[in-house]
Amino acid sequence: MPPAPLPSTTMASRHLLRSLAMCSPTTTQAALLSTTRSLVPATPSPRSPLKSDKTLIQTPSTAAPKSTTIRSYHSTTHPPPPPPFTPTEQLLLSAALKHVPTHGWTAESLALGARDTGHLDISPAVLADGEFGLVRWWLWSQREGLKERVKALEKELERLGVEERVEVITWERLKGNVEGGIVGRWQEALALMALPSYLPHSLKELALLADEIIYLAGDKSVDPSWYTKRASLSAIYAGTELFQTTDTSLDQRETRAFLRRRLDEARQVGGAVRNVTEWVGFTGAAVVNILRSKGVRI
Amino acid sequence: MAARPALTRALPHLTSTVLSRSSQYQTSLRSISSLSPLSRTFSTTLPSLDANASTSTSSKPPTPDYAIPDPSRPTHFGFQTVTESEKREKVARVFTSVAEAYDRMNDLMSFGWHRVWKDHFVRTLNPGFSPLTAGPDPRGPQQILDIAGGTGDIAFRMLHTAHVVNRNPDVRVIMSDINRAMLTVGKHRSESLPASQQAALSFLEANAEDLTKARPLVPYPPADPASEEKPFFDPTTATTSIPDNSIDLYTVAFGIRNFSNIPAALREAYRVLKPGGVFACLEFSKADKHPLFNAVYKEWSFRAIPLIGQLVAADRDSYQYLVESIERFPSQEEFRDMILDAGFVIAGEGYEDLTGGVAAIHKGMKPRT
Repeated sequence: MPPAPLPSTTMASRHLLRSLAMCSPTTTQAALLSTTRSLVPATPSPRSPLKSDKTLIQTPSTAAPKSTTIRSYHSTTHPPPPPPFTPTEQLLLSAALKHVPTHGWTAESLALGARDTGHLDISPAVLADGEFGLVRWWLWSQREGLKERVKALEKELERLGVEERVEVITWERLKGNVEGGIVGRWQEALALMALPSYLPHSLKELALLADEIIYLAGDKSVDPSWYTKRASLSAIYAGTELFQTTDTSLDQRETRAFLRRRLDEARQVGGAVRNVTEWVGFTGAAVVNILRSKGVRI
Repeated sequence: MAARPALTRALPHLTSTVLSRSSQYQTSLRSISSLSPLSRTFSTTLPSLDANASTSTSSKPPTPDYAIPDPSRPTHFGFQTVTESEKREKVARVFTSVAEAYDRMNDLMSFGWHRVWKDHFVRTLNPGFSPLTAGPDPRGPQQILDIAGGTGDIAFRMLHTAHVVNRNPDVRVIMSDINRAMLTVGKHRSESLPASQQAALSFLEANAEDLTKARPLVPYPPADPASEEKPFFDPTTATTSIPDNSIDLYTVAFGIRNFSNIPAALREAYRVLKPGGVFACLEFSKADKHPLFNAVYKEWSFRAIPLIGQLVAADRDSYQYLVESIERFPSQEEFRDMILDAGFVIAGEGYEDLTGGVAAIHKGMKPRT
């Protein structure tokens, strides 16, 4: 059965959201902002009921899904959406990926992959976006593979807090680049991804990866930090990956240290911003109260 | 004036929004399409995204009735309803009359933009690309069949990409057309190509719905003006055929719209392609995703193009047919489903819109069984 965001499923889940008024960041945002902003820090919301972790919403879908490639939310109660690649693409691209360490993200790899699977040199012409399709396939398969990697680490992760888990899972994703043997070729892929026509897709993929990592780390926050966390992790991930392409240290220790430093900085900056906002809010309220006590009509 | 009723028939399409088309237009469309072989209901799902799709296509189902050419079956010629054999004759007449002015007219009608589409089409197919390996490809030269090749726009670009860009002279291009007058224009134009490219090119008269009957080009008009040869290919004069599993790349650019029986032509493409071979089609399509742009585009095609045809090629009716046939051609999704129905597998959405959907590239691959 096809799966994915069938209109009815989407409607049902949206309805569920409205009624819970708990899971969607947008529906609760206004209420949280007006009342308990300082009470909802980066830690998991204490009020999250059991149901909320089942539908940690990524983006509330506004229109009926045009194609089955749209993944609008994480769900443990629905089957995962089908891959955004047809069986033909999966066959050709996974075969071509084996040649990337030698030949890069090129038509050469695609043609050699096609030969491996008994196809013709012309067969990759059927793919919609050629070499970039290869990059897309790599990004998607790595993101999908992250779930399995995390499952294998379950015992280790249980002992850690959310922030440490984010670091471990991000590192797992970066290790995928090494194990796939594409670190030496990753700058070429970044060049392709930065082309204006492919940039929107690349950024979306980065956002989805950040979301996947934070989701797998078990973060359940439903306040504005939902956005800031994903934005800062995206930036950190992109930077670390770039660092990784030039890292020659043993077991990529330098990359690991780089990642840890960036995450620590984000934590410090986040704390500082929170302190400043709290101070400004308190001082502001105090000034207003003082003025009111002096008879100013505010 | 012939254009007037045609425009009024097309206008509801422009004035109504994409979501709610006027019921009048829908009923008139239904009455026309109920006669056509395209009236099968198309599924709106993506069959190929289903895991079962690849297995179901591997065993070829028997050819359905609508894919067997039948000279007496009704089809459409522009906004008229005619039989398949009548359409063949009428299309032949249209293209015989426009053959000489065809290239100039294309430039005028599309502001030269058709060149951009064709360049993009050939570039994404990348014909002649071969990975660097020792010695020539043991599987022999790459065979490209350009159906409705007409004046050679696609075939010459293919040769250029293969010989000059990919530096691979091991490519053969067969230019095929049912219309001998068009193909003769193509042959004359090919004489300005480099000799190596001319050597890789051959010309074939054939009907795309039945490629088992073909004949090397005999130029038209014939040297002897007294002979009563027809300007289009007559299957009874066939001397050769295109065998099963012999072609690497099958292309058809701005041609499939004129076929009498599109499902039959798609099945014939499937037959001649090698497993792993690619079917690629460049054709006018629907721009309804952008209502405003679509309105301007429809105004241009129904008002200006027949007029330009009248002024430049002195042939209004042929260009009236051209715009009507574009209007009647199935949408991107419907045509994609027809390709899947013929047994091909697709990647992604299966099509790529060009210039907001005015034209679209559809691609399919014959799966390895």
